[in-house]
Amino acid sequence: METNVRMILFKEDQVDQASEAIETLHHHGISDNDISVISGVPFSEKILGRPMSWTRVPQIAVAGALFGFIISMLLNFLVPNLYKLSVGGMPLTPIPTSIVVTFELTMLGLLISTFLGVFIEMLSPSFGPKGYHPKIGDGYIGILFNCPTYADEDTCFELQDLGAEIVDVEEIKQP
Amino acid sequence: MAADVKPFIGSKASPHQESEAEELRQEHLMLDPMPRNEMNQMVMEAMTTTTRKWWAWVIGLGLAVAVLLVGAWGYMIATGMGVAGIRRPVYWGVFIVTFVFWIGISHAGTFVSAILRVFKAEYRRPFTRAAELMTTFGLAAGAIYPLIHLGRVWVFYWMIPYPNARWLWPNFRSPLVWDFFAITTYLLSSTIYLFLPLIPDMAMARDRSTGWRHFIYKLLALGWRGTEAEWFRLRKAISIFAYAIIPVMFSVHTIVSWDFAVGMVSGWQSSIFGPYFIIGAILSGVSAVVTILYILRSTMKNMDYFIRKEHFDALGKLILVFSMAWAYFFFNEYILAWYGGDAALKQVLTLHATGPSAWVWYTMLICNVAIPWLFLWNKKVRRTPWLMFIITLLVNVGMYAERYTIIPLTLGHQRSPFDWGIYNPTIVEVSIALGTLCLFIFLYLIASRIIPLVPVWEVQEGQMSHTLRKIGKTEIPSVTELE
Repeated sequence: METNVRMILFKEDQVDQASEAIETLHHHGISDNDISVISGVPFSEKILGRPMSWTRVPQIAVAGALFGFIISMLLNFLVPNLYKLSVGGMPLTPIPTSIVVTFELTMLGLLISTFLGVFIEMLSPSFGPKGYHPKIGDGYIGILFNCPTYADEDTCFELQDLGAEIVDVEEIKQP
Repeated sequence: MAADVKPFIGSKASPHQESEAEELRQEHLMLDPMPRNEMNQMVMEAMTTTTRKWWAWVIGLGLAVAVLLVGAWGYMIATGMGVAGIRRPVYWGVFIVTFVFWIGISHAGTFVSAILRVFKAEYRRPFTRAAELMTTFGLAAGAIYPLIHLGRVWVFYWMIPYPNARWLWPNFRSPLVWDFFAITTYLLSSTIYLFLPLIPDMAMARDRSTGWRHFIYKLLALGWRGTEAEWFRLRKAISIFAYAIIPVMFSVHTIVSWDFAVGMVSGWQSSIFGPYFIIGAILSGVSAVVTILYILRSTMKNMDYFIRKEHFDALGKLILVFSMAWAYFFFNEYILAWYGGDAALKQVLTLHATGPSAWVWYTMLICNVAIPWLFLWNKKVRRTPWLMFIITLLVNVGMYAERYTIIPLTLGHQRSPFDWGIYNPTIVEVSIALGTLCLFIFLYLIASRIIPLVPVWEVQEGQMSHTLRKIGKTEIPSVTELE
C-alpha cells in the first residue's frame, strides 16, 4: 500500500486534541506502528493513549553493574595472588577492606552502562515514521504518521477540524 | 498549555481571589507559566550574552589560574615539597584541607538534583543544573589535590592498577586508593548525570543557534527529536541515576572521612566521622548553591524570572536543618571525646579552644552554628537574596575552618609533647588553594555561556503540572503527577 509521511502539530495546551487525533488516525486504519509522537516535554503514553515504549536501559545497567563487580573481584582477590606481597599479620585478601572497591566499581559499571544504554539506543535505528520540526522545541506536540494515499485528504480534513496544524512535507526534516 | 494555565479549578474566582492568585503567581515560578518559545528565548539570551565585564572576569580569572595554580604548582614541582609548610609533625596541611572542602562542595549537585528529585521537591526544577555543574567543577578542583599532595606528580600513574614491569600494585587496603576509586566514580557519574537531562535542552539550543554553537549542540544533542521512546528511556536513565548516585555520594565523603578515621591519631579515630563529614559536605554544598544562585540571578540576563525568593527561602530552611544536624554530630563527637578522659585527646580539644589558633575553632562554630541559627529561622532573612549570599558565604568559611581544625590543628598536638608543632601555610600553598577557587569560578563562567543553565523542559513540565485549586474560600497550589 502506498503511503505518505505526514506531520501535524498541536500547541502544548492541546493535549486533549492531540490524543483525539491519534484516536482518529486509528479509526482510519493507521496502526500505532505507523505513528510517532514527538514533543518538547515528556507526556506519558497513557495521556496520549499510546502503547508503552520499550527500553533495554535497565537490563544494560544491570549487566554493567555485574561487569564492574567482576572487575572488582579480579582486582581484590586475583591480583594480590598474582603479585604476592606478604605483610606480617595481614591477610593477603581481606574481605572488609575489599568491600569499598567492590562497591565503587559495581556502581561505576552500573552508571556508565546506563549512559551507554541511552547512547546506544539513541543512535540505533528506530521504527515508525521519521521526521522533526523545530517547533517541537517550542512546546508543540508533533504527530508523525504514515498515511495511505487514498485516505490522505479525508484524514487531513478531520485532523484540521481538531485544531491540528498540517506541516508541509518539505518542512519535515531530520534534526 | 504553559501559556494558558487555568488559574482555577472549581467555581469562578472573585476579584479578591484573583489578586491572591496574582500574588501566588509572582511568588512561585511553577504557577507563573510562560510560553515555551519565550522561555527558550530567555535562556538562549542569557547564554549568548557576553559583556565586557564578563570577558574581563574570564581573562582575569584565566590569568589568576595560570599564576596562582599552574605557576605555584610548577614552582613546587621544580623546587620540591619543601616550599610547602607541611613538615613534621603536620604532614597534611592546606592541600588536604582544600581537597576535603571541594569534595564537600561537590555534594551539592547530587543532593539538590538526586535527593530532591527522588522526593519530588518541585522547587528544585530551575536550579538543578546550576547545582550539578557545581558538583562537576567542584570535583574537578578537588581531584587535582591528591596529585598536588603527591609531590612527585610525574609518578601519579603508580596509583592506577595495571600490569607493569615493577610488579607494583596499589594496596587496595589503603584509604588513599579508595579515594582514587571513589572520586573517579563520582566524577564520571556526576558528569553523566549532568549530561543526561541536558540532552533535550541541547536539542533546543541546536534548533536556535548557528555556527560553532550549532555544531557543538548538534553533536551533544545526539540526534534528539523528543519521541516517546526517547523520553521514556531518558526518564528511565535519569531515574536509575537519581537512585544510584545517592549511595555513591555518601560513599565518597565517607571514604574521605576514613582517610582520617582509620589513622591512629587522637581526634580522628571516630566511628561517626563518616556521617559527620557527609552532613558537613551537604551543609557546605547547599550553601554554595545559594551563593552561586545569587550571583547568577544578579549577573545573568532573565535569571530573576527563574530564580526567585521562594528558592532562597526553601534552600535557607535546608541549610538551617543541616546546620543543626552538623552541630549535633559535632557535639556528639566532642562530648564523648571530652568525657572519655583520654589525656592526649583532651589536650587536643583544649588546644582547639584555647590555643594560638583558637580563632579558627571559634570561626567554625560561629559561622556553622551561630549565624545560621540566629538568622535563618527568620523568613524575611531567608527571602532576602543578598543576606542569604552573605550567610552562605560565611557558612563555607566556617566549613573551611572546620576542615582546618580537624587536619593541621589536630595533627600538631598528638601523644608525644616533644613532637608538637604549629603549622603555618606558605604562600605557595595559599596561592594553590586560591588558584583552584579561581579555576572553579573560571570553569563556571565559561560553562554559563555554553550550557543552558536552566533545564527548560523540566521547568515547563513543572509548570504544566501545577495549578491553583479553589478549596472553600481560598486557592491553593496543587500538583498533578504527569509521569
